[in-house]
Amino acid sequence: MSAPLLVMTGAVKRFGGVQALRGVDFDLKAGEIHALLGENGAGKSTLMNLLSGVYMPDEGTIEIDGKPVRFNNPREAQAAGIATIFQELDLVPSLDVAANLFLGRELMRPGGFLDVPAMRREAKKRLEAIEIAIDPGAMVADLSIGQRQVVAIVKALSYASRVLIMDEPTAALTVGEVERLFDIMRKLAATGVGIVYISHRLEEVPGIADRVTVMRDGRVAGITEPHAPQAELVRLLVGRPLDELYPQRSKAAGKPLLSLRDASFRLARDSAGWQAPIGVSLDVHEGEIVGLAGIMGAGRTELLSALYGTGLSGRWEGEVAISGRPVKLDSISAARHAGIAFVTDDRRGSGLMLRMAVGLNLVMSVIRRISPAGLMSPSRQAEAVKQSFGQFDIRPKNPDIAVGALSGGNQQKVVLAKEILGNPRLLLLDEPTRGVDVGAKGEIYARLRALAAQGLGILVASSEMPELIGLCDRIVVLRQGRNVAEFMGGVDEHTVLAAANGREA
Amino acid sequence: MSEDKISVAASPVTAAPQKHRDPLALIVRFQSLIGLVLVAIGGIIFSPRRHGEILFLNPDNIANIVRAVSETGIIAIGMTFVIITAGIDLSVGAVLGLSSVVTASMMISGGFGLIPTILAVLALGIVFGAIQGTISTRFRLEPFIVTLAGLQAARGLALVVSGNQYINISYGDGPGLAPPVFAVLGERLFNNTVPVATLVFIVFAAIATIVLNTTRFGRYVFAVGGNERAARISGVPVSMVKISVYAITGFAAALAGIVHAGQFNFGSANDGMGYELTAIAAVVIGGTSLFGGAGSMVGTVAGTIMLGALANILQLNNITPAMQLLATAAIIVLAAVLQSLVRRREGLGR
Repeated sequence: MSAPLLVMTGAVKRFGGVQALRGVDFDLKAGEIHALLGENGAGKSTLMNLLSGVYMPDEGTIEIDGKPVRFNNPREAQAAGIATIFQELDLVPSLDVAANLFLGRELMRPGGFLDVPAMRREAKKRLEAIEIAIDPGAMVADLSIGQRQVVAIVKALSYASRVLIMDEPTAALTVGEVERLFDIMRKLAATGVGIVYISHRLEEVPGIADRVTVMRDGRVAGITEPHAPQAELVRLLVGRPLDELYPQRSKAAGKPLLSLRDASFRLARDSAGWQAPIGVSLDVHEGEIVGLAGIMGAGRTELLSALYGTGLSGRWEGEVAISGRPVKLDSISAARHAGIAFVTDDRRGSGLMLRMAVGLNLVMSVIRRISPAGLMSPSRQAEAVKQSFGQFDIRPKNPDIAVGALSGGNQQKVVLAKEILGNPRLLLLDEPTRGVDVGAKGEIYARLRALAAQGLGILVASSEMPELIGLCDRIVVLRQGRNVAEFMGGVDEHTVLAAANGREA
Repeated sequence: MSEDKISVAASPVTAAPQKHRDPLALIVRFQSLIGLVLVAIGGIIFSPRRHGEILFLNPDNIANIVRAVSETGIIAIGMTFVIITAGIDLSVGAVLGLSSVVTASMMISGGFGLIPTILAVLALGIVFGAIQGTISTRFRLEPFIVTLAGLQAARGLALVVSGNQYINISYGDGPGLAPPVFAVLGERLFNNTVPVATLVFIVFAAIATIVLNTTRFGRYVFAVGGNERAARISGVPVSMVKISVYAITGFAAALAGIVHAGQFNFGSANDGMGYELTAIAAVVIGGTSLFGGAGSMVGTVAGTIMLGALANILQLNNITPAMQLLATAAIIVLAAVLQSLVRRREGLGR
């Protein structure tokens, strides 16, 4: 490979008293896909913001083609050929693809009129250049997340074409879409574009990266081969070995808690894209953690929300029983009455009141209990909050600050603690560690296991296979709304994936 | 882990968490009180004097200020509940008009006694508000649209009831006359110092403060505004809460309508126009967020009185109503900008 396209040397960046980067060296070659891994707060985003001109380094230099450069703003970085694609794609959903690609740089006809046909033609040409069949006249709102990603990439490349920085581009993509995105990235790399690929999905790295840089605490913890064993990557990420991440499994599960026998959720109105559970049979016992595996769209989230009554309206058919007694789970209040609690996969959207204090969020599901005769009891509230802080190590230890100011991991602990306060018998978890760094993941796993040891049954849906395998006693695989296979925890990842995709292992 | 370090403020809950070290946040938290003090100081400085007496501080003048704001104040208190749930109620001014008309016509042409009239009018307000809340939740409509329609409906009903005529209230015993005790709403108590209308406002404000800050229902109101979906998942009866807050604004508007009829001795279908906007302004100046989930009843009361005091100073100095509008506009913008700055500093807004 050629000489480095981009070299960063000794980068230091401070924010007030916090040192986000403590002397980082990083380089990127033309045509290379360079994966950048790190926990939340490790400094990945700061590093990328230096490269894309959002911040300027306090110390250190950036060189492009061996010449030192200095970006005062993102525009200057773009002019030097560096494009960044952020997690929140900066597309306008209500405009079509072509309009988005030319947003702010529209092609005009004389007299100040938009030249729509020319923009559509040009957009089509650019999309075809990377062999993508998206109609330039389609509304962005009608595209899948994966297709939007592609539009964002094409847009970024249209004004900067040497370095492409992608911040967790696969976070919201289905397995198929990830493969297609990787194809595009390889094609771009083959044309000489250098790609920095930020991700927290270790398992994707061998499939796409040429080189891996792992960051920890504002430093480069190591630069390795993409085919380095995962245990090695985790050790670099966390600074400790992998096997400590997951707690010991419990010895014996108790009596059956949730039992589904040939249970289907009949929707009141058909809805495309909502995979209702069909003929599902599964058990969760007291003290047991059961995982729900499956590809995107297999119906994991739908099963949980149908059980809790937060999904689309409809009714259960077949046998649904809690502790051997049939229950009618048709509303949130019915589910809560049956002792079921639910933690959504979207803590910011539907889990927390971000602007409100941590303490107020914690007691949200037990308001009734701490308000005898309809009056809020400050002492009972304080007691409940104290209990939560004792159970989950929420940082900072201050119940009066806004929950939105906490890190993702601590926010997730608040959502969990909130539901645990209600003393549920069955806890439904959807993606319990999404956007949570590895350190907090370990704490959450340990907490869940301890709660299970006290008799709580947990049904957890996750798209992170290692999490299901490491955490759960049993894993139920869903495909197209049905349970198609069941494995014990610790099973080989490929076996589960094969079942999820409907292939023989 | 030392758990004893964890303390929870035993004080009533104000939903916006305080950052003790941030002076800007403190200013915003007490912005309406600070504003009220500043307006009062300004009033003293710029007040015209007669024989050395500061007219602004004259007891009659103070009584006038708090009497003049009592109707919009009552409405603003109801509005605070709705705005904390991230809703809005545009119908309140029209409901005030409707209530004043119904109050007058029930006593004058209907021959109803005082108590039945008041109970009926308050019930009318509650039902009117609850219907708006039910339509909004049941059909998932924006409260802006539903209460805009409610505004038209209430004005229309008021015109029908009144025949687009002033219904004058005369007092006495017998048919066609209202019980003389009703006229007390236009008078002052305690040695002719405290206007009765103001007393109604203050008592209502006190009850509302207690409901908002110490009851389960109050907490539900904050929860619904903080994040409706999260509240629903946590088992909060969201629809019930939303219907209830519109019933409260309806009740408040009806109460204000009764006070209005008692103060001015007539019912008029066209009265209360624009009161909804004055009330919303008072709520926002009081520090309640239009995004929902945060707000304070004390702030609303202070905001209401502050707007009244400001208008009073300008009047005392013979400054045109046009300037009053401009001054109010400036204060609303200032209050909103301060809130936005704090949100940004907390990293919670854009």
